[in-house]
Amino acid sequence: MIRYDCFEWLAPQMTDQLVVTSLSGQRVEWGHLSKREADLNLGSMGNALAVGIGLALALPHRKVFVFESDGSVLLSLFNLPTLANLNPANLAVFVFDNQAYSGTRISYPSATAGKTDLAAVAKGSGVDHSVTVSELAEFKREATAALNESGLRFVVCKIEESVGHRKIARSNVDLMETKYRFVRYLERTEGRPIFQGRG
Amino acid sequence: MKRELAARIVGALKQAGVDFVAYVPETRMSEILPAMKADGSFALAPVASEAEAVGIAAGAALGGKQAAVYMEGTGLFVSAYNLLTVGERYGVPMILLVAYVGSFEDQRNSFLFSHYGTKTTDLLKTLGIEYVIADAGDHLEARIQDAVRMMNALKLPVALLFTGEFTE
Repeated sequence: MIRYDCFEWLAPQMTDQLVVTSLSGQRVEWGHLSKREADLNLGSMGNALAVGIGLALALPHRKVFVFESDGSVLLSLFNLPTLANLNPANLAVFVFDNQAYSGTRISYPSATAGKTDLAAVAKGSGVDHSVTVSELAEFKREATAALNESGLRFVVCKIEESVGHRKIARSNVDLMETKYRFVRYLERTEGRPIFQGRG
Repeated sequence: MKRELAARIVGALKQAGVDFVAYVPETRMSEILPAMKADGSFALAPVASEAEAVGIAAGAALGGKQAAVYMEGTGLFVSAYNLLTVGERYGVPMILLVAYVGSFEDQRNSFLFSHYGTKTTDLLKTLGIEYVIADAGDHLEARIQDAVRMMNALKLPVALLFTGEFTE
């Protein structure tokens, strides 16, 4: 399974769902395929899941998708027991697990290339719906359920290590611009201020 | 910390509009947790690491909450990456309620804490996080109100370091 194929199918399905992305190729690919104000690109490892949990708790009536990578989840494994115990029913986590630290130039195996099974770690942490998918049809089934059903989902997507993102032109939208675009979108769609204080 | 002080902290947070608290429990200020639970106006997120507390508070803040993180001072060192990456670099307001362990006025200071305490404010300065030290209950409500106003004005994390009377 190729991550780009997953995103290419999912991007047009999105309506008002909030999406949080971390770093690595998934940030580049999702940013290339989706230009939505509801996308929050964090641009860092080890933070997307936590931020997604916070968003889901703050906005329980909105669906929140988090796109993570194996390296990013491994950096913050303490998120998984917290995720299980807080159990936000409006949160879907998709971990694109290419079993590698695959940056712009490097490719080194991550722990999931060895003995570590992230879905099992999440399951053992208490996340009831924690599964692994490795075919596009399975991904579509889980993503469709995430779009349409309630309940916390943790889906580890086993993907091939592709380097397609290296050929995609990087966005010039910086993090502050992304944040304000996202917050103003929420203010508009929620009908209330997010940031407090006026000049 | 005396329950009366804990109740005043919780009352002041509520008055200032804080409605979301991610936390890792610690000893000195732990009386605020039952007070917040009893109050019922705070969404509480117990977590496993101060690092994720910062991320979760950031998500809540971006979703419209007035967010706080309650932690021991050691948690600032644990969460330094997250405070810089999500808090400062992204510009997200949150108030850090920190038990200032190892500071001069820490009434439970020992060799276990002093090495953290003597470096805490330097860490905050390095991270670009504004802070106020509270060592007694006078002006407590105003300090919390001021800190919440400052976090929203800066759109950054700010810290309240509690020591002295708050660590008894």
